[in-house]
Amino acid sequence: MEGLIIPLNHVLIVAALLFATGLAGLMFRRNVIFILMSLEVMLNSAGLAFVAAGAAWAQADGQVIFMLILAVAAAEVSVGLGLVLQVQKRFKTLDMDHAQKLNG
Amino acid sequence: METGIQALLAPLVVSIVALILMMQIAFKRHAIVSWLLGCTGFILAILALKPMADIVPKMVTPLLLSDQYSLFFSALILFSGLITTLLAKDYLQNRRGENEEFYLLLLLSSLGAMILVSATHVASFLLGMELLGVALYALIAYPERGQLPLEAAIKYLILSGAASAILLFGFALIYAVLGTLSFVGIGQALTQPILEDQQLLILLGTAMVFTGIGFKLSLVPFHMWTPDVYQGAPVPVTGFLATVSKGAIFAALLRLFIDAELYQYQGLMLSLSVLAIASMLAGNLLALKQDNLKRILAYSSIAHIGYLFITLIVYGVLQQPGLAVEAATFYLSAYIITSLAAFSLLSIISSNISETDLDDISHIQGLFWRQPMLALMLTIALLSLAGIPLTVGFIGKFYIFTAGIEGSLWVLLAALIIGSGISIYYYLRIVFQMTMKEPAGGSGAANMDPNSVRLSVLSKFVVWLLIFMMLYLGVLPQTLMEYLGGLSL
Repeated sequence: MEGLIIPLNHVLIVAALLFATGLAGLMFRRNVIFILMSLEVMLNSAGLAFVAAGAAWAQADGQVIFMLILAVAAAEVSVGLGLVLQVQKRFKTLDMDHAQKLNG
Repeated sequence: METGIQALLAPLVVSIVALILMMQIAFKRHAIVSWLLGCTGFILAILALKPMADIVPKMVTPLLLSDQYSLFFSALILFSGLITTLLAKDYLQNRRGENEEFYLLLLLSSLGAMILVSATHVASFLLGMELLGVALYALIAYPERGQLPLEAAIKYLILSGAASAILLFGFALIYAVLGTLSFVGIGQALTQPILEDQQLLILLGTAMVFTGIGFKLSLVPFHMWTPDVYQGAPVPVTGFLATVSKGAIFAALLRLFIDAELYQYQGLMLSLSVLAIASMLAGNLLALKQDNLKRILAYSSIAHIGYLFITLIVYGVLQQPGLAVEAATFYLSAYIITSLAAFSLLSIISSNISETDLDDISHIQGLFWRQPMLALMLTIALLSLAGIPLTVGFIGKFYIFTAGIEGSLWVLLAALIIGSGISIYYYLRIVFQMTMKEPAGGSGAANMDPNSVRLSVLSKFVVWLLIFMMLYLGVLPQTLMEYLGGLSL
């Protein structure tokens, strides 16, 4: 492990920007596919922060957690895409605003 | 290594049975065989807790700790899983489609919950939480037809995924400053002097972790998804979600909270107090105007999580924090048993008649006259949720009250009392609905022919067992209290 060459704070800022992008997408997008993509961006920004922090501490832990996040995100999105297929089939739309039956 | 396997026997049993079940489904579908396998898995795992109890506490790798605390919660999780499996048979019978995977998903979800309650490291915390969650998404969307379950599942997936991402980002920030991911390690590193600007990162990280957990536990103001998901999910799954998912995440939170010594941060404690008060009041107030039984229970669960958070705050102020853990575990057990009973009864009422769940308050109008036994049992469950004496809910609330008095948390206690007062109104409203004369020509449980209701022996056994536990622990709580008093974290 070489450690991190650039300052850790810079990477954390990039990760925070990515996270904010994902969060904004999650809140303002209405299409389920795009919402799932935003979710993926958010999870990966956390992964980026973990990798950078791991490198800064010259530990493997950060990367291990990143691998776990990858697996978790894949599992989540695969279930999500399965649900998206069903949404298209039953609601005939992928727009979450139009697929609202529960009053919440 | 021998003892390592012994210390993780129950999760291993569940994983092996899950694999066998998967094979069985792949080769030959058979609903009854799958159901039997599911039951066997849960029962074997409960039996496996006995040899585990002989060697605890035992650390297995730096990730998992088997101790009295994790064993107790594993037992609760497996019990809830077993009850859900038993009920699901009747519930799924009247519904079309392939029902085998339901039991597989239940096993996997319980496995995730068990890992979560033994987690002492961010990695195992993440894995347990996601295994629990991902299996739950599929369970919520399980019914073949209907749009509500699907919408509920999508909502739960998106919000739970976002909560996980927020939580992970928080842990990443904490890791960036402290360089450790184990809960105890975080606690030790926090005692070292930390630079000013790094303090800020820690604060931000902790806030994000608690936001993520707050979402999963549906604390106000992160509670928006709860009523929709509760309403959309099939009743047995709602029961499972309310008990196993909430219970396991709270148990893991308690361990993180204590191991990482987060209770020493005044700012955190203050914000937790605000969230707890908001949950107690908003949860109960919003429940007042609901007409759907599942939505009422959803809002009441928000309030119950608010009550539970009092124990976390007590832990910070008390000199002998054992009482806080005892109160939290007792209240959680009481809540799990009571919610299971309430949802089991709803599931039985729904499973007899129609394809969709009968969960509107008008559906149970006049239930007392047609199904006195069911109505009486539902009344007992609701009274226990409200915390009326002679039920386990009362002892649980009393515990929290005692802990709160010990810690002199008067504002929180005031919120607890006001919240409980409000809650009695909407619980009793359901009871009154059941005693009302049935409407002429309406549809619902009241109009069903008493003879058409086949209460299977299984469902009867399940609800009687739960009601018995509720009353027994409400009258003679000493055994459980003594056991929980010996739990240490």
